[in-house]
Amino acid sequence: MKARKIRGVVLVAVLIGLLVLILMPLFWCISLSFDRKALTALPAFSLIPHEPTLFNYQVVFRTIPLMRYYGNTIFVTCIHTFLAVFFALTCGYAFAKGNFIGKKFWFIFMLAVMMIPFESRMIPLYVQYKNWGMLDTYAPLLLGACAYVYGIFFARQNIEAIPDSLRESAYIDGASEWKIFFRIILPLSKPLIATLSILQFLSNWNSYLWPLVVIKTQEKQMISVGVSFFNAQQNDIYYGPRMAVAVMSAIPLSIVFLFLQKYIVQSIAVSGIKQ
Amino acid sequence: MKNQVLKLKIKKQLIWYSFLIVSILTLLILTYIPMLTTIRYSFYDVEVVGYGDSQFVGLQNYQTIMKNASFLKSVKNTFILALLSLVSIPLGFILASLINNVKWKSMQSFFRVGYYFPNIITGVSVVLIFQVVLKTNGGLLNDALSFLTRHDISIGWLSDSRYSRFGATILNVWMTLGYNMLINLASLQSISNEVYEAAEVDGANALQKWLYITIPQMTSCFVFLFITSIINGLARFTDLFIIGGNTPIGSPGGTLQTILMYIYQFSFETPRYGIASAGAMILFLLTFVITMINLKLTGFFKEK
Repeated sequence: MKARKIRGVVLVAVLIGLLVLILMPLFWCISLSFDRKALTALPAFSLIPHEPTLFNYQVVFRTIPLMRYYGNTIFVTCIHTFLAVFFALTCGYAFAKGNFIGKKFWFIFMLAVMMIPFESRMIPLYVQYKNWGMLDTYAPLLLGACAYVYGIFFARQNIEAIPDSLRESAYIDGASEWKIFFRIILPLSKPLIATLSILQFLSNWNSYLWPLVVIKTQEKQMISVGVSFFNAQQNDIYYGPRMAVAVMSAIPLSIVFLFLQKYIVQSIAVSGIKQ
Repeated sequence: MKNQVLKLKIKKQLIWYSFLIVSILTLLILTYIPMLTTIRYSFYDVEVVGYGDSQFVGLQNYQTIMKNASFLKSVKNTFILALLSLVSIPLGFILASLINNVKWKSMQSFFRVGYYFPNIITGVSVVLIFQVVLKTNGGLLNDALSFLTRHDISIGWLSDSRYSRFGATILNVWMTLGYNMLINLASLQSISNEVYEAAEVDGANALQKWLYITIPQMTSCFVFLFITSIINGLARFTDLFIIGGNTPIGSPGGTLQTILMYIYQFSFETPRYGIASAGAMILFLLTFVITMINLKLTGFFKEK
């Protein structure tokens, strides 16, 4: 019994040590971002800044429109997430409970899209938006949200599990399908909505290639792209400001994660198993 | 009367279609048509769409690209990098097994969240951080290695073409380890205790239980992670693009140029849409084959 307990303690200790080791780059990055010495040279490793300062952050805020980037990214991410999740649910509902001609065809029509990676249709898509005069607007970043294929399958699975009796009794009361959708299906799908929103939010915050291609004006850019351009301009020096910008772009999701860690971890795990 | 029944039926149909129509149109206009256009471009001599004559050239673009040394190199790079990144899966499994053995529940969920945390850090920030961590002189990794080996080690993890793929893999594994751990752990915990208990009654030891119960039960999880990892690897772009100083050339020495970076280069930097589309088609076919294998392995076709 005692040996078992000791083994348990050792295991926890090892895991804590390993975790600290893995997170060390983050600690160092934060320390560097507050270090006045990290401006033109890389100071020796230390978890406490050699010369504590906010100077690096001031440099960042003066050089790039960071607040604009935050605003743009939050705006696009929220609208994208809302559109994607809403239409995933409407389609999921139709496929789960609907009875209409061509159901199987449209289902396969959507299923097949999973095999078309975004990258292989990027060039014509770019040309298309160019012809519509929509480059350098948020339309290319948002319109695609209206068909969130993975979400549709996920929603269908979940909505199928909702008992038909609820729907039928509402139907007898004369409710239309849309009313049933809003009054019965949506309130019962809260965990589903949360999971899909989290997945959407994470992937949108990290989107890089497509904004890089379609957004030309610097002020309109997403945070990932904006930050990477700042980084490329300061190549090899200005360690402090670069770390400051790394911290700034990682902070929003980290805060969200701290508050919603349980749900996020669960959503990711579920999305992996269900596929 | 009959007419009214028909009308009602049509109305019912239309209502269901009203749930679908937005997504159907979106997929048609933003997925199917562009995909067909990619196929068309790949058979045409298109420099930039709308400029000059576009001529049907058959398989010429494919021939050009298959003979192009830098495209072949990008295919090779992509596969090497994708295969190297796979190391994250067994590491994630080992980590998950360790965490699964922690008896204290609150400690277990602490580790789950803690080890997952790097996966939440924005990709761009990770690259910025690792550009410093993997720096040749004064970088954290070289300093640590020098300290451990008591020799002065200055490896250019991201600047020396001999080591760059390993450097890029270290960065990738750091980013994906938490995810792999999480999926492995969820899968481990879904194995029912009864199986283990039955084996214990039969006198199986820990190693036997691990070999004959855990590993077979985990196969579908491994397949899933393997396939997603390869598919993500095929479309790898962001981190390597930033490491190359926001260029798609895959510096150092082109060792980090992936297929997608090659496509980007010939789409948006020196536009040759015909060539880029042929590259995109090859990327599509590779992804398609792997997805099909996945669906076959997971028994998707049988179910339907």
